[in-house]
Amino acid sequence: MKIIKKFMKFIALMLYLILAVIPLYWIIITSLKDIKEVFVFPIKYLPQVISFESYRKLFVFTNFAIYFRNSLMVALIASFGALFITVFSGYAISRCGFKFKRSILISLFLTQAIPGFLILVPLYTMFAKVGMLDKLPSLMLLYINIMIPFSAIMSKSFFDRIPISLEEAAQVDGCSRVQALFKIVIPLTLPGLSAIFCFCFINTWNELFLAVMFINSDPKMTIPVALNSFISKIGVGWDILSAGIVISLIPTLVIYAFAQRHIVAGLTGGAIKG
Amino acid sequence: MIKSDNSKIFLVMIFPSLISVILLTFVPILRSFFIAFQNYNFHDLSNIHFIGFENFQAVFNSVNFNFSRILLNTFLWITVSLFFQFVLGFGLALLMKEPFKGRGVYSGLVFYPWALSGFALGLIWAWMFNGQFGIINDVLRKIGLIHQNIGFLSDTRYSLISVIIANIWYGIPFFGIMLLAALQSVPLELYEAAEIDGAGYFIKLFKITIPYIKPTIISTLLLRTIWIMNYPEIIYAMTGGGPANSSNILSVQMINKIIKFLNFGEGAAIGVMIIITMCIYVIIYLKIVSREELTF
Repeated sequence: MKIIKKFMKFIALMLYLILAVIPLYWIIITSLKDIKEVFVFPIKYLPQVISFESYRKLFVFTNFAIYFRNSLMVALIASFGALFITVFSGYAISRCGFKFKRSILISLFLTQAIPGFLILVPLYTMFAKVGMLDKLPSLMLLYINIMIPFSAIMSKSFFDRIPISLEEAAQVDGCSRVQALFKIVIPLTLPGLSAIFCFCFINTWNELFLAVMFINSDPKMTIPVALNSFISKIGVGWDILSAGIVISLIPTLVIYAFAQRHIVAGLTGGAIKG
Repeated sequence: MIKSDNSKIFLVMIFPSLISVILLTFVPILRSFFIAFQNYNFHDLSNIHFIGFENFQAVFNSVNFNFSRILLNTFLWITVSLFFQFVLGFGLALLMKEPFKGRGVYSGLVFYPWALSGFALGLIWAWMFNGQFGIINDVLRKIGLIHQNIGFLSDTRYSLISVIIANIWYGIPFFGIMLLAALQSVPLELYEAAEIDGAGYFIKLFKITIPYIKPTIISTLLLRTIWIMNYPEIIYAMTGGGPANSSNILSVQMINKIIKFLNFGEGAAIGVMIIITMCIYVIIYLKIVSREELTF
Protein backbone atom coordinates (compact mmCIF):
# COMPACT_ATOMS: atom_id res chain seq x y z
CA MET A 1 0.00 0.00 0.00
CA LYS A 2 2.71 2.38 1.01
CA ILE A 3 4.79 1.45 -2.01
CA ILE A 4 1.85 2.07 -4.34
CA LYS A 5 1.32 5.45 -2.76
CA LYS A 6 4.98 6.33 -3.18
CA PHE A 7 4.91 5.18 -6.78
CA MET A 8 1.82 7.26 -7.57
CA LYS A 9 3.46 10.27 -6.03
CA PHE A 10 6.58 9.69 -8.09
CA ILE A 11 4.52 9.44 -11.27
CA ALA A 12 2.65 12.65 -10.44
CA LEU A 13 5.89 14.51 -9.73
CA MET A 14 7.35 13.25 -13.00
CA LEU A 15 4.27 14.38 -14.94
CA TYR A 16 4.59 17.90 -13.54
CA LEU A 17 8.29 17.89 -14.36
CA ILE A 18 7.79 16.76 -17.94
CA LEU A 19 5.00 19.25 -18.59
CA ALA A 20 7.06 22.05 -17.08
CA VAL A 21 10.18 21.32 -19.07
CA ILE A 22 8.74 20.50 -22.51
CA PRO A 23 8.23 24.08 -23.75
CA LEU A 24 11.76 25.06 -22.77
CA TYR A 25 13.17 21.88 -24.29
CA TRP A 26 11.21 22.37 -27.47
CA ILE A 27 12.32 25.95 -28.09
CA ILE A 28 15.97 25.15 -27.34
CA ILE A 29 15.88 22.12 -29.65
CA THR A 30 14.22 24.17 -32.37
CA SER A 31 16.89 26.84 -32.11
CA LEU A 32 19.64 24.22 -32.44
CA LYS A 33 18.18 22.50 -35.49
CA ASP A 34 19.24 23.05 -39.02
CA ILE A 35 16.57 25.04 -40.84
CA LYS A 36 15.64 22.00 -42.98
CA GLU A 37 14.87 20.12 -39.80
CA VAL A 38 12.81 22.92 -38.27
CA PHE A 39 10.29 22.73 -41.08
CA VAL A 40 10.12 19.03 -41.67
CA PHE A 41 7.29 16.58 -41.44
CA PRO A 42 7.07 14.43 -39.36
CA ILE A 43 8.71 16.62 -36.75
CA LYS A 44 11.96 15.61 -35.13
CA TYR A 45 12.28 15.40 -31.35
CA LEU A 46 16.04 15.27 -31.49
CA PRO A 47 18.08 17.12 -34.07
CA GLN A 48 20.20 15.01 -36.43
CA VAL A 49 22.99 17.54 -36.10
CA ILE A 50 23.40 20.38 -33.67
CA SER A 51 23.57 23.56 -35.70
CA PHE A 52 24.20 27.09 -34.53
CA GLU A 53 23.16 28.47 -37.90
CA SER A 54 20.00 30.08 -36.44
CA TYR A 55 22.10 31.96 -33.90
CA ARG A 56 24.56 33.05 -36.56
CA LYS A 57 21.71 34.38 -38.69
CA LEU A 58 20.16 36.09 -35.70
CA PHE A 59 23.30 38.09 -35.02
CA VAL A 60 24.18 38.70 -38.69
CA PHE A 61 20.75 39.64 -40.06
CA THR A 62 19.54 41.61 -37.04
CA ASN A 63 21.15 43.91 -34.47
CA PHE A 64 20.50 41.41 -31.71
CA ALA A 65 23.71 42.24 -29.83
CA ILE A 66 22.54 45.84 -29.61
CA TYR A 67 19.05 44.83 -28.47
CA PHE A 68 20.62 42.67 -25.80
CA ARG A 69 22.82 45.50 -24.60
CA ASN A 70 19.84 47.89 -24.53
CA SER A 71 17.73 45.43 -22.55
CA LEU A 72 20.55 44.79 -20.11
CA MET A 73 21.21 48.49 -19.61
CA VAL A 74 17.58 49.40 -19.12
CA ALA A 75 16.86 46.51 -16.74
CA LEU A 76 20.00 47.06 -14.65
CA ILE A 77 19.65 50.82 -14.31
CA ALA A 78 15.91 50.65 -13.67
CA SER A 79 16.31 47.94 -11.03
CA PHE A 80 19.12 49.76 -9.24
CA GLY A 81 17.17 53.00 -9.48
CA ALA A 82 13.98 51.49 -8.10
CA LEU A 83 15.88 49.77 -5.30
CA PHE A 84 17.81 52.91 -4.37
CA ILE A 85 14.69 55.05 -4.21
CA THR A 86 12.57 52.53 -2.36
CA VAL A 87 15.16 51.63 0.27
CA PHE A 88 14.65 55.12 1.66
CA SER A 89 10.90 55.13 1.14
CA GLY A 90 10.41 51.68 2.57
CA TYR A 91 12.46 52.64 5.59
CA ALA A 92 10.54 55.87 6.09
CA ILE A 93 7.18 54.10 5.78
CA SER A 94 8.33 51.42 8.19
CA ARG A 95 9.61 53.82 10.85
CA CYS A 96 7.46 56.89 10.51
CA GLY A 97 4.53 57.69 12.70
CA PHE A 98 2.72 59.46 9.91
CA LYS A 99 -1.01 59.62 10.23
CA PHE A 100 -1.22 58.96 6.53
CA LYS A 101 1.05 55.90 6.63
CA ARG A 102 -1.87 53.62 5.90
CA SER A 103 -3.12 55.76 3.01
CA ILE A 104 0.36 55.81 1.46
CA LEU A 105 0.50 52.04 1.62
CA ILE A 106 -2.98 51.61 0.21
CA SER A 107 -2.32 53.98 -2.67
CA LEU A 108 0.92 52.15 -3.44
CA PHE A 109 -1.04 48.93 -3.32
CA LEU A 110 -3.71 50.29 -5.66
CA THR A 111 -1.13 51.25 -8.27
CA GLN A 112 0.04 47.65 -8.31
CA ALA A 113 -3.33 46.73 -9.72
CA ILE A 114 -2.78 49.14 -12.59
CA PRO A 115 0.13 47.99 -14.73
CA GLY A 116 1.95 50.32 -17.07
CA PHE A 117 0.11 49.42 -20.24
CA LEU A 118 -3.28 50.55 -18.93
CA ILE A 119 -1.97 54.10 -18.91
CA LEU A 120 -0.03 53.80 -22.17
CA VAL A 121 -1.94 56.60 -23.87
CA PRO A 122 -1.59 59.37 -21.28
CA LEU A 123 2.05 58.43 -20.68
CA TYR A 124 2.70 58.53 -24.40
CA THR A 125 1.13 61.96 -24.85
CA MET A 126 2.94 63.30 -21.77
CA PHE A 127 6.32 62.09 -22.98
CA ALA A 128 5.60 63.29 -26.52
CA LYS A 129 5.02 66.83 -25.23
CA VAL A 130 8.49 67.03 -23.69
CA GLY A 131 10.17 65.25 -26.61
CA MET A 132 11.08 62.15 -24.66
CA LEU A 133 9.81 59.51 -27.08
CA ASP A 134 12.10 56.87 -28.53
CA LYS A 135 14.69 57.34 -25.80
CA LEU A 136 16.04 54.62 -23.55
CA PRO A 137 16.23 56.90 -20.48
CA SER A 138 12.46 57.43 -20.77
CA LEU A 139 11.99 53.70 -20.63
CA MET A 140 14.24 53.47 -17.56
CA LEU A 141 12.22 56.17 -15.84
CA LEU A 142 8.95 54.39 -16.59
CA TYR A 143 10.33 51.07 -15.40
CA ILE A 144 11.60 52.57 -12.16
CA ASN A 145 8.13 53.93 -11.65
CA ILE A 146 6.30 50.66 -12.25
CA MET A 147 8.64 48.88 -9.81
CA ILE A 148 8.37 51.46 -7.02
CA PRO A 149 5.13 50.30 -5.36
CA PHE A 150 6.17 46.68 -5.15
CA SER A 151 9.71 47.37 -3.91
CA ALA A 152 8.55 49.99 -1.42
CA ILE A 153 5.98 47.62 0.11
CA MET A 154 8.51 44.78 0.14
CA SER A 155 11.39 46.74 1.64
CA LYS A 156 9.02 48.19 4.23
CA SER A 157 8.11 44.65 5.27
CA PHE A 158 11.80 43.76 5.56
CA PHE A 159 12.56 46.83 7.68
CA ASP A 160 9.61 46.03 9.91
CA ARG A 161 11.45 42.92 11.04
CA ILE A 162 14.51 44.85 12.25
CA PRO A 163 13.98 45.98 15.84
CA ILE A 164 14.09 49.75 16.27
CA SER A 165 16.17 49.32 19.42
CA LEU A 166 19.19 48.53 17.23
CA GLU A 167 19.04 51.94 15.60
CA GLU A 168 18.33 53.64 18.88
CA ALA A 169 21.45 52.09 20.33
CA ALA A 170 23.45 53.34 17.35
CA GLN A 171 21.98 56.79 17.72
CA VAL A 172 22.93 56.87 21.37
CA ASP A 173 26.44 56.11 20.21
CA GLY A 174 26.31 59.20 18.05
CA CYS A 175 25.12 57.92 14.67
CA SER A 176 22.65 60.03 12.78
CA ARG A 177 19.49 58.34 11.57
CA VAL A 178 20.81 58.06 8.02
CA GLN A 179 24.11 56.63 9.26
CA ALA A 180 22.24 54.11 11.37
CA LEU A 181 20.23 53.15 8.29
CA PHE A 182 23.36 52.50 6.23
CA LYS A 183 25.53 50.94 8.92
CA ILE A 184 23.00 48.78 10.69
CA VAL A 185 19.65 48.37 8.99
CA ILE A 186 20.69 47.91 5.37
CA PRO A 187 23.38 45.28 6.05
CA LEU A 188 20.82 43.29 8.02
CA THR A 189 18.24 43.43 5.22
CA LEU A 190 20.69 42.84 2.38
CA PRO A 191 19.30 39.39 1.45
CA GLY A 192 15.82 40.84 1.21
CA LEU A 193 16.99 43.84 -0.79
CA SER A 194 18.82 41.64 -3.28
CA ALA A 195 15.61 39.65 -3.71
CA ILE A 196 13.84 42.90 -4.57
CA PHE A 197 16.57 43.70 -7.07
CA CYS A 198 16.22 40.31 -8.75
CA PHE A 199 12.46 40.68 -8.88
CA CYS A 200 12.78 44.14 -10.47
CA PHE A 201 15.30 42.87 -12.99
CA ILE A 202 13.08 39.98 -14.05
CA ASN A 203 10.07 42.25 -14.47
CA THR A 204 11.80 45.05 -16.33
CA TRP A 205 13.71 42.63 -18.56
CA ASN A 206 10.40 41.04 -19.56
CA GLU A 207 8.35 44.20 -20.04
CA LEU A 208 6.78 44.45 -23.50
CA PHE A 209 4.02 47.00 -24.06
CA LEU A 210 5.60 50.20 -22.71
CA ALA A 211 8.71 49.39 -24.70
CA VAL A 212 6.76 48.68 -27.90
CA MET A 213 4.93 51.97 -27.49
CA PHE A 214 7.88 54.16 -26.62
CA ILE A 215 10.69 52.73 -28.76
CA ASN A 216 10.52 52.97 -32.53
CA SER A 217 14.00 53.14 -33.96
CA ASP A 218 15.92 49.94 -34.45
CA PRO A 219 19.12 50.77 -32.54
CA LYS A 220 17.10 51.55 -29.42
CA MET A 221 14.97 48.41 -29.33
CA THR A 222 14.98 46.18 -26.31
CA ILE A 223 14.69 42.43 -26.82
CA PRO A 224 10.90 42.13 -26.39
CA VAL A 225 10.38 44.95 -28.90
CA ALA A 226 12.74 43.25 -31.32
CA LEU A 227 11.03 39.85 -30.96
CA ASN A 228 7.70 41.57 -31.51
CA SER A 229 9.00 43.20 -34.69
CA PHE A 230 10.39 39.86 -35.92
CA ILE A 231 6.92 38.34 -35.99
CA SER A 232 5.84 40.53 -38.85
CA LYS A 233 9.21 40.79 -40.55
CA ILE A 234 9.60 38.96 -43.81
CA GLY A 235 12.53 36.58 -43.80
CA VAL A 236 12.50 36.02 -40.06
CA GLY A 237 11.16 32.54 -39.55
CA TRP A 238 10.83 30.28 -36.56
CA ASP A 239 14.51 29.33 -36.83
CA ILE A 240 15.78 32.85 -36.11
CA LEU A 241 12.89 33.66 -33.79
CA SER A 242 13.55 30.59 -31.65
CA ALA A 243 17.21 31.57 -31.27
CA GLY A 244 16.15 35.06 -30.21
CA ILE A 245 13.65 33.67 -27.71
CA VAL A 246 16.25 31.37 -26.15
CA ILE A 247 18.73 34.22 -25.71
CA SER A 248 16.00 36.42 -24.24
CA LEU A 249 15.31 33.77 -21.59
CA ILE A 250 18.91 33.29 -20.45
CA PRO A 251 19.40 36.28 -18.10
CA THR A 252 16.18 35.70 -16.16
CA LEU A 253 16.85 31.96 -15.99
CA VAL A 254 20.34 32.60 -14.61
CA ILE A 255 19.05 35.04 -12.00
CA TYR A 256 16.28 32.62 -11.13
CA ALA A 257 18.73 29.73 -10.76
CA PHE A 258 20.96 31.66 -8.39
CA ALA A 259 18.43 33.64 -6.43
CA GLN A 260 15.43 31.32 -6.42
CA ARG A 261 15.55 30.65 -2.68
CA HIS A 262 15.99 34.33 -1.92
CA ILE A 263 13.22 35.52 -4.17
CA VAL A 264 10.82 32.85 -2.99
CA ALA A 265 11.54 33.59 0.67
CA GLY A 266 11.13 37.30 0.05
CA LEU A 267 7.91 36.92 -1.91
CA THR A 268 6.21 34.50 0.41
CA GLY A 269 7.30 36.34 3.51
CA GLY A 270 6.73 39.88 2.39
CA ALA A 271 4.42 40.59 -0.50
CA ILE A 272 1.43 38.62 0.57
CA LYS A 273 1.48 39.55 4.19
CA GLY A 274 1.94 43.22 3.30
CA MET B 1 15.33 59.42 23.98
CA ILE B 2 14.70 59.38 20.25
CA LYS B 3 12.30 62.13 19.46
CA SER B 4 9.70 61.45 16.85
CA ASP B 5 10.45 64.80 15.25
CA ASN B 6 12.29 63.03 12.46
CA SER B 7 9.32 63.55 10.20
CA LYS B 8 11.28 65.97 8.01
CA ILE B 9 13.89 63.40 7.08
CA PHE B 10 11.16 60.83 6.57
CA LEU B 11 9.43 63.20 4.17
CA VAL B 12 12.67 63.66 2.24
CA MET B 13 13.13 59.90 2.08
CA ILE B 14 9.65 59.20 0.83
CA PHE B 15 9.50 62.13 -1.58
CA PRO B 16 11.12 60.56 -4.70
CA SER B 17 8.80 57.54 -4.64
CA LEU B 18 5.72 59.65 -4.06
CA ILE B 19 6.52 62.20 -6.74
CA SER B 20 7.24 59.45 -9.25
CA VAL B 21 4.06 57.53 -8.52
CA ILE B 22 1.98 60.71 -8.57
CA LEU B 23 3.45 62.06 -11.83
CA LEU B 24 3.78 58.80 -13.73
CA THR B 25 0.84 56.80 -12.39
CA PHE B 26 -1.87 58.89 -10.75
CA VAL B 27 -1.76 61.87 -13.12
CA PRO B 28 -1.83 59.55 -16.17
CA ILE B 29 -4.79 57.68 -14.70
CA LEU B 30 -6.68 60.96 -14.36
CA ARG B 31 -5.59 62.03 -17.84
CA SER B 32 -6.77 58.76 -19.33
CA PHE B 33 -10.25 59.65 -18.06
CA PHE B 34 -10.03 62.86 -20.13
CA ILE B 35 -8.65 61.18 -23.22
CA ALA B 36 -11.38 58.54 -23.03
CA PHE B 37 -13.88 61.29 -23.73
CA GLN B 38 -11.87 62.91 -26.51
CA ASN B 39 -11.54 62.33 -30.20
CA TYR B 40 -7.87 61.42 -29.92
CA ASN B 41 -6.59 59.67 -32.98
CA PHE B 42 -2.91 59.52 -33.82
CA HIS B 43 -3.71 60.04 -37.51
CA ASP B 44 -5.78 63.10 -36.72
CA LEU B 45 -3.86 64.93 -34.02
CA SER B 46 -4.90 68.42 -35.09
CA ASN B 47 -8.48 67.54 -34.33
CA ILE B 48 -8.55 66.68 -30.64
CA HIS B 49 -11.79 67.61 -28.95
CA PHE B 50 -14.30 66.30 -26.45
CA ILE B 51 -16.86 63.95 -27.91
CA GLY B 52 -18.70 62.74 -24.83
CA PHE B 53 -19.37 59.04 -24.71
CA GLU B 54 -18.64 58.39 -28.39
CA ASN B 55 -15.47 56.41 -27.66
CA PHE B 56 -17.34 54.13 -25.33
CA GLN B 57 -20.12 53.73 -27.89
CA ALA B 58 -17.55 52.98 -30.56
CA VAL B 59 -15.98 50.33 -28.34
CA PHE B 60 -19.34 48.69 -27.83
CA ASN B 61 -20.38 48.97 -31.47
CA SER B 62 -17.27 48.74 -33.62
CA VAL B 63 -16.97 45.06 -32.99
CA ASN B 64 -20.75 44.76 -33.08
CA PHE B 65 -22.12 41.74 -31.32
CA ASN B 66 -18.55 40.63 -30.79
CA PHE B 67 -18.17 42.90 -27.79
CA SER B 68 -20.22 40.46 -25.78
CA ARG B 69 -17.88 37.79 -27.08
CA ILE B 70 -14.91 39.77 -25.75
CA LEU B 71 -16.56 40.14 -22.36
CA LEU B 72 -17.36 36.43 -22.26
CA ASN B 73 -13.79 35.60 -23.30
CA THR B 74 -12.41 37.87 -20.58
CA PHE B 75 -14.55 36.12 -18.01
CA LEU B 76 -13.55 32.64 -19.24
CA TRP B 77 -9.89 33.65 -19.53
CA ILE B 78 -9.85 34.73 -15.89
CA THR B 79 -12.00 32.05 -14.27
CA VAL B 80 -10.84 28.96 -16.19
CA SER B 81 -7.17 29.97 -15.99
CA LEU B 82 -7.46 30.78 -12.30
CA PHE B 83 -9.28 27.57 -11.41
CA PHE B 84 -6.75 25.26 -13.05
CA GLN B 85 -3.72 27.31 -12.03
CA PHE B 86 -4.87 27.06 -8.43
CA VAL B 87 -5.87 23.38 -8.41
CA LEU B 88 -2.76 22.21 -10.25
CA GLY B 89 -0.48 24.54 -8.28
CA PHE B 90 -1.98 23.34 -5.00
CA GLY B 91 -1.54 19.73 -6.10
CA LEU B 92 2.10 20.39 -6.89
CA ALA B 93 2.66 22.08 -3.52
CA LEU B 94 1.08 19.11 -1.71
CA LEU B 95 3.30 16.68 -3.61
CA MET B 96 6.38 18.69 -2.73
CA LYS B 97 5.54 19.22 0.93
CA GLU B 98 7.37 16.18 2.27
CA PRO B 99 11.11 16.38 1.65
CA PHE B 100 12.52 14.01 -0.98
CA LYS B 101 15.87 13.54 -2.59
CA GLY B 102 16.62 16.32 -5.05
CA ARG B 103 13.71 18.53 -4.04
CA GLY B 104 15.80 21.69 -4.46
CA VAL B 105 16.68 20.89 -8.07
CA TYR B 106 13.15 19.67 -8.71
CA SER B 107 11.60 22.92 -7.51
CA GLY B 108 14.00 24.83 -9.74
CA LEU B 109 12.85 22.81 -12.76
CA VAL B 110 9.09 23.05 -12.15
CA PHE B 111 8.93 26.64 -10.89
CA TYR B 112 11.09 28.31 -13.54
CA PRO B 113 8.22 29.55 -15.76
CA TRP B 114 7.46 32.06 -13.03
CA ALA B 115 10.58 34.04 -13.93
CA LEU B 116 10.08 34.08 -17.68
CA SER B 117 8.40 36.65 -19.86
CA GLY B 118 4.78 35.95 -20.74
CA PHE B 119 5.44 37.27 -24.20
CA ALA B 120 8.35 34.91 -24.90
CA LEU B 121 6.39 32.00 -23.43
CA GLY B 122 3.41 32.95 -25.59
CA LEU B 123 5.66 32.74 -28.64
CA ILE B 124 6.96 29.34 -27.53
CA TRP B 125 3.41 28.03 -27.06
CA ALA B 126 2.42 29.47 -30.43
CA TRP B 127 5.20 27.40 -31.95
CA MET B 128 4.08 24.31 -30.02
CA PHE B 129 0.47 24.80 -31.14
CA ASN B 130 1.61 25.37 -34.73
CA GLY B 131 -0.79 23.71 -37.15
CA GLN B 132 1.93 22.20 -39.33
CA PHE B 133 5.08 21.64 -37.33
CA GLY B 134 3.70 21.88 -33.81
CA ILE B 135 4.68 19.35 -31.19
CA ILE B 136 1.17 19.28 -29.74
CA ASN B 137 -0.45 18.19 -33.00
CA ASP B 138 2.21 15.54 -33.36
CA VAL B 139 1.71 14.14 -29.87
CA LEU B 140 -2.08 14.13 -30.17
CA ARG B 141 -1.83 12.27 -33.47
CA LYS B 142 0.63 9.75 -32.04
CA ILE B 143 -1.65 8.86 -29.14
CA GLY B 144 -4.57 8.66 -31.55
CA LEU B 145 -6.68 11.49 -30.20
CA ILE B 146 -6.78 13.25 -33.55
CA HIS B 147 -6.22 12.00 -37.08
CA GLN B 148 -5.56 15.28 -38.81
CA ASN B 149 -3.60 18.30 -37.68
CA ILE B 150 -5.62 21.05 -36.04
CA GLY B 151 -4.85 24.71 -36.65
CA PHE B 152 -5.25 25.47 -32.96
CA LEU B 153 -4.52 29.17 -33.25
CA SER B 154 -6.18 29.78 -36.60
CA ASP B 155 -9.41 27.95 -35.82
CA THR B 156 -12.03 29.99 -33.97
CA ARG B 157 -13.13 26.89 -32.07
CA TYR B 158 -9.72 26.19 -30.52
CA SER B 159 -7.97 29.55 -30.17
CA LEU B 160 -9.37 30.51 -26.75
CA ILE B 161 -8.78 27.11 -25.19
CA SER B 162 -5.23 27.13 -26.58
CA VAL B 163 -4.28 30.46 -25.05
CA ILE B 164 -5.91 29.44 -21.76
CA ILE B 165 -3.87 26.23 -21.66
CA ALA B 166 -0.68 28.24 -22.10
CA ASN B 167 -1.79 30.63 -19.38
CA ILE B 168 -2.59 27.79 -16.96
CA TRP B 169 0.87 26.36 -17.54
CA TYR B 170 2.39 29.80 -16.88
CA GLY B 171 0.54 30.33 -13.58
CA ILE B 172 1.00 26.96 -11.85
CA PRO B 173 4.44 27.89 -10.41
CA PHE B 174 3.08 31.00 -8.70
CA PHE B 175 0.54 28.99 -6.73
CA GLY B 176 3.05 26.19 -6.22
CA ILE B 177 5.61 28.56 -4.68
CA MET B 178 3.17 30.46 -2.49
CA LEU B 179 1.16 27.48 -1.27
CA LEU B 180 4.25 25.34 -0.67
CA ALA B 181 5.64 28.02 1.63
CA ALA B 182 2.31 28.20 3.43
CA LEU B 183 2.08 24.41 3.75
CA GLN B 184 5.49 24.28 5.34
CA SER B 185 4.34 26.68 8.03
CA VAL B 186 1.59 24.34 9.27
CA PRO B 187 2.70 23.07 12.71
CA LEU B 188 3.32 19.32 12.67
CA GLU B 189 1.67 18.87 16.09
CA LEU B 190 -1.69 19.54 14.48
CA TYR B 191 -1.26 16.49 12.26
CA GLU B 192 0.06 14.34 15.06
CA ALA B 193 -3.01 15.07 17.16
CA ALA B 194 -5.28 14.23 14.24
CA GLU B 195 -3.43 11.01 13.53
CA ILE B 196 -3.99 9.85 17.08
CA ASP B 197 -7.68 10.33 16.41
CA GLY B 198 -7.27 8.17 13.33
CA ALA B 199 -7.79 10.85 10.70
CA GLY B 200 -6.98 9.89 7.09
CA TYR B 201 -5.23 11.94 4.42
CA PHE B 202 -8.26 13.78 3.11
CA ILE B 203 -9.68 14.53 6.54
CA LYS B 204 -6.34 16.02 7.51
CA LEU B 205 -6.25 17.98 4.25
CA PHE B 206 -9.71 19.49 4.63
CA LYS B 207 -9.86 19.83 8.41
CA ILE B 208 -6.33 21.00 9.16
CA THR B 209 -4.26 22.00 6.14
CA ILE B 210 -6.77 24.05 4.19
CA PRO B 211 -8.21 25.95 7.17
CA TYR B 212 -4.68 26.73 8.38
CA ILE B 213 -3.46 28.17 5.07
CA LYS B 214 -6.78 29.80 4.18
CA PRO B 215 -5.41 33.37 4.42
CA THR B 216 -2.71 32.55 1.86
CA ILE B 217 -5.25 30.85 -0.38
CA ILE B 218 -7.53 33.88 -0.32
CA SER B 219 -4.83 36.44 -0.93
CA THR B 220 -3.09 34.48 -3.70
CA LEU B 221 -6.39 33.86 -5.49
CA LEU B 222 -7.36 37.51 -5.36
CA LEU B 223 -3.89 38.73 -6.33
CA ARG B 224 -3.64 36.30 -9.23
CA THR B 225 -7.00 37.41 -10.60
CA ILE B 226 -5.60 40.91 -11.02
CA TRP B 227 -2.52 39.59 -12.76
CA ILE B 228 -4.43 37.34 -15.13
CA MET B 229 -6.68 40.22 -16.06
CA ASN B 230 -3.81 42.64 -16.44
CA TYR B 231 -1.16 40.69 -18.29
CA PRO B 232 -2.39 39.86 -21.78
CA GLU B 233 1.09 39.12 -23.16
CA ILE B 234 0.35 35.46 -23.79
CA ILE B 235 -2.70 36.16 -25.95
CA TYR B 236 -0.93 39.05 -27.67
CA ALA B 237 1.95 36.74 -28.60
CA MET B 238 -0.13 33.71 -29.57
CA THR B 239 -3.13 35.04 -31.50
CA GLY B 240 -3.32 38.80 -31.04
CA GLY B 241 -6.93 38.17 -30.05
CA GLY B 242 -7.90 36.52 -33.30
CA PRO B 243 -9.08 34.90 -35.40
CA ALA B 244 -12.26 37.00 -35.57
CA ASN B 245 -12.04 37.97 -31.87
CA SER B 246 -12.36 34.34 -30.85
CA SER B 247 -9.54 34.70 -28.31
CA ASN B 248 -9.85 38.43 -27.73
CA ILE B 249 -10.16 39.86 -24.22
CA LEU B 250 -10.57 43.45 -22.98
CA SER B 251 -6.92 44.19 -22.35
CA VAL B 252 -5.80 42.73 -25.68
CA GLN B 253 -8.48 44.73 -27.44
CA MET B 254 -7.13 47.84 -25.74
CA ILE B 255 -3.56 47.10 -26.79
CA ASN B 256 -4.70 46.51 -30.36
CA LYS B 257 -6.63 49.78 -30.44
CA ILE B 258 -3.57 51.70 -29.27
CA ILE B 259 -0.63 49.95 -30.88
CA LYS B 260 -2.19 48.68 -34.11
CA PHE B 261 -4.89 51.25 -34.86
CA LEU B 262 -3.39 54.22 -32.99
CA ASN B 263 -6.86 55.13 -31.81
CA PHE B 264 -5.88 56.57 -28.45
CA GLY B 265 -9.37 57.70 -27.50
CA GLU B 266 -10.98 54.29 -27.79
CA GLY B 267 -7.92 52.65 -26.24
CA ALA B 268 -8.16 54.98 -23.26
CA ALA B 269 -11.90 54.28 -23.01
CA ILE B 270 -11.25 50.54 -22.64
CA GLY B 271 -8.42 51.35 -20.23
CA VAL B 272 -10.82 53.37 -18.09
CA MET B 273 -13.28 50.48 -18.01
CA ILE B 274 -10.52 48.12 -16.88
CA ILE B 275 -9.17 50.58 -14.29
CA ILE B 276 -12.62 51.04 -12.74
CA THR B 277 -13.21 47.28 -12.64
CA MET B 278 -9.79 46.76 -11.07
CA CYS B 279 -10.30 49.45 -8.44
CA ILE B 280 -13.64 48.00 -7.37
CA TYR B 281 -11.98 44.62 -7.27
CA VAL B 282 -8.99 45.81 -5.22
CA ILE B 283 -11.23 47.61 -2.73
CA ILE B 284 -13.17 44.40 -2.18
CA TYR B 285 -9.83 42.59 -1.99
CA LEU B 286 -8.52 44.93 0.69
CA LYS B 287 -11.78 44.66 2.63
CA ILE B 288 -11.59 40.87 2.68
CA VAL B 289 -7.85 40.56 3.17
CA SER B 290 -7.37 43.22 5.83
CA ARG B 291 -9.90 41.38 7.93
CA GLU B 292 -8.02 38.14 7.47
CA GLU B 293 -4.38 38.81 7.09
CA LEU B 294 -3.06 42.07 5.75
CA THR B 295 -1.59 44.13 8.53
CA PHE B 296 -0.29 47.52 7.54
